Amino acid sequence: MTRKVQITEYLDIDLEREMWCCNRCGRELISARTSYKQGCLVYEREPRDIYNPLVDEAFSFAPNPDWLRYLEFYCPGCGTMIEVEALPPGHPTTYDIELDVDALKRKCSGGGQE
Amino acid sequence: MAAPSWQELLAWIYPVPPSPEEVELARAIKPGEYEIYTEKLNNICLEAKEVFVRCGVASTILAGDNIVGLYSADGDLVTAWCGTYLHAITSQLPIKYILKYYRDDPSVGINEGDVFYVNDALYGGIHNGDQIAIMPIFHEGELIAWSCAAVHEPESGGTDPGSFPVNAKSRYDEGLKLPPIKIGHDYQLHGDALEMIANMLGRAPRMSILDLRARVSGADRMRLRIQELARDRGAEFLRGLFRKSIMDAEEGARKRIRSWNDGVYQAVVFSDVYTADPALTRIFLTMYKKDDRLIFDFTGTSPENLSYSHSTAAAAVAHAATYIYAYPFWDLPISCGTFAPFEWVFPEGTVLNPTPTAAVSNSVGIDAGVMTVLPIVFSKMMFSSEERPLVNASSGACGPYPLVSGVNQWGVPIADLHSFMMNSMGQGARSDKDGMDNYGFVWCHPGRFTDVEEAENEWPVFHLSQRTLPDTGGPGKYRGGAGSELMLVPHHVPYVVFITFGSGGSVANASQGLFGGYPAPAVASSVLVKNTDLRRRMPAGGQGVPATIRDLAGQKSLKGEYEFRGPLPPTVCGQDDIYASARGGGAGYGDVLERDPRLVIEDLRKGIITPQAAREVYHVIFDPDSLTLDPEATECARQQERENRLRRGRTYDDFMAEWLQKRPKEEIIQVYGTWPDAKPVAPVIRL
Repeated sequence: MTRKVQITEYLDIDLEREMWCCNRCGRELISARTSYKQGCLVYEREPRDIYNPLVDEAFSFAPNPDWLRYLEFYCPGCGTMIEVEALPPGHPTTYDIELDVDALKRKCSGGGQE
Repeated sequence: MAAPSWQELLAWIYPVPPSPEEVELARAIKPGEYEIYTEKLNNICLEAKEVFVRCGVASTILAGDNIVGLYSADGDLVTAWCGTYLHAITSQLPIKYILKYYRDDPSVGINEGDVFYVNDALYGGIHNGDQIAIMPIFHEGELIAWSCAAVHEPESGGTDPGSFPVNAKSRYDEGLKLPPIKIGHDYQLHGDALEMIANMLGRAPRMSILDLRARVSGADRMRLRIQELARDRGAEFLRGLFRKSIMDAEEGARKRIRSWNDGVYQAVVFSDVYTADPALTRIFLTMYKKDDRLIFDFTGTSPENLSYSHSTAAAAVAHAATYIYAYPFWDLPISCGTFAPFEWVFPEGTVLNPTPTAAVSNSVGIDAGVMTVLPIVFSKMMFSSEERPLVNASSGACGPYPLVSGVNQWGVPIADLHSFMMNSMGQGARSDKDGMDNYGFVWCHPGRFTDVEEAENEWPVFHLSQRTLPDTGGPGKYRGGAGSELMLVPHHVPYVVFITFGSGGSVANASQGLFGGYPAPAVASSVLVKNTDLRRRMPAGGQGVPATIRDLAGQKSLKGEYEFRGPLPPTVCGQDDIYASARGGGAGYGDVLERDPRLVIEDLRKGIITPQAAREVYHVIFDPDSLTLDPEATECARQQERENRLRRGRTYDDFMAEWLQKRPKEEIIQVYGTWPDAKPVAPVIRL
């Protein structure tokens, strides 16, 4: 069985330990049977840090922080930004990747996903 | 009879099951013949599209925002020139309606030389603007196929000029609503039917009728070539060829889906699209992947409201097609077989499946969210597969889109969309490269925008600016393609009416980044400046005349009354007024700290990003005068930023304990639904 499978640009799954891992530094984040986001550090980014308003108006040619913020998810080992999610203030994060780990293990051992 | 139910429309997207005889005919197609004749069908589509474009006048036709499609005798999509894939899907539905209700109705019937026409979304269209010409194709008295030609008509006779009546609250405010209706027989168009349509589209009758004839011309060229092919190879051969294209697409799609990891993938996108004023709604998608099946469940999407920003369920599926045919299944035939492994769930009473009285003329605005969540869930599923090169962040899909209405300099009533702002979106960044700047139109990937000279010949305006707008591509390891800006001034005539409709993005992002890339910005704001001193300044050498929207809006370089908005409701503007708008680019991919600093400098030199973004977002250090990169200082700055992240980042549980106590202001979530799960709050009552 392949020990690690790359799932996204920055996320591997260790199939033996059933853990999400950072692809860049190898740090174990959390169980592969839960959301990898729960194993990350999180920071609320003011979107106007990224995009500057042209004018000081409600419609400013830039995102309005009353409407959306950016949640940045970092690897706690190396600080790589694993994901960014734009959400209104207080909106729950998505469980964006919920893999069938058992099927993945069968697939990687050559048994297919049934 | 009544309009078909939404369930029936969704069912018509799937291929009609083949008879054993048809399967045998498909199997009888020899390998070499299959490649030759499927390519011949594609060339026929291309020829028909060229006829269509050369006969039409609306900017949407010239932009290529259209299709000419070939359908089997049962109404299944066999292939199409695209153009915009969404019309390829939806044109099946009115054909299947005609077959079900009119074939045996002697007052209508289906005969050689008939021409049908449709634009009502309840009968399978997208929204009023999208009109479809349909022709049955006969060979030796037998119905063997159908041809369709579809394109958006910029005027639809609603409460406001154009095809996006921003004040519409129900379908009865939206103007022309044609169920499938026969407008021609024996290869002759009915003059009375055309007069009725011209009468109902009276703000731009010349354009409307010329474009109607262009659609029919495109469909008829397809009809002619397919009949020639039937005479050459026989109807049985074509029947087998059509079925094989559909079967191959289904087989190819199932094989590819099976190779991806089983699991559940989720994405959400928030839009401010509503009326001329913004309000927050969300599109929520949970995609279930098991073996060779995909279920797209939009439960959790915001409830319907009293605006024009709704989509029928079938139109939402059609919008999904613009991604599905272009990215994950790009190499399969553009046939309905690709859709066979899919299942769609759209709860009733949501913005993606409202009650039939809902206004849907801005379906494309709300469906921008569908086109945004699809790449996210597919990319997260496909990354660890052979399809990694197809992984991409969502492309720009936010307006506003200006429409110019009035009487042009040639004395002709017009109501036309400005295709530059539609067709200059930024592409989402990909797993191995940046998104293309101003790549096209996410509804129509190969779309092209009109040149300034073309536009100024047709419309009574001059362009102060039509260009790429910096800092509009989502930052990331790979940057999203940049968006654009446009500044228009009425010219040659005393006044024009400017209107813009929005696809969101004036205050809230209509995109999400991918794998650490940032969303594209919400820059789809606009500025109306009335009673400027522009005309006084221009002859005097142009000092203070703005070259960019940054000059106009940011520096207020002209005297005048400034009004900053999202979309613009219908507004009369004269020769001293300026209307300027901006549109976002594509979302970014990957961590900004992994972007090659040399690419950041290159973006600076091209004016795609500002020095501030290079320093503060990408953490690149350079000489501000020569733009020379300092590699060592850049590496130090980036290492410092990584350490800062570890310092400021909080554990998930700690962060969420505080975050989940927050809530947007009530005026922002007035039509969102319950917070945060977006369930209906109260019934929507329309007059």
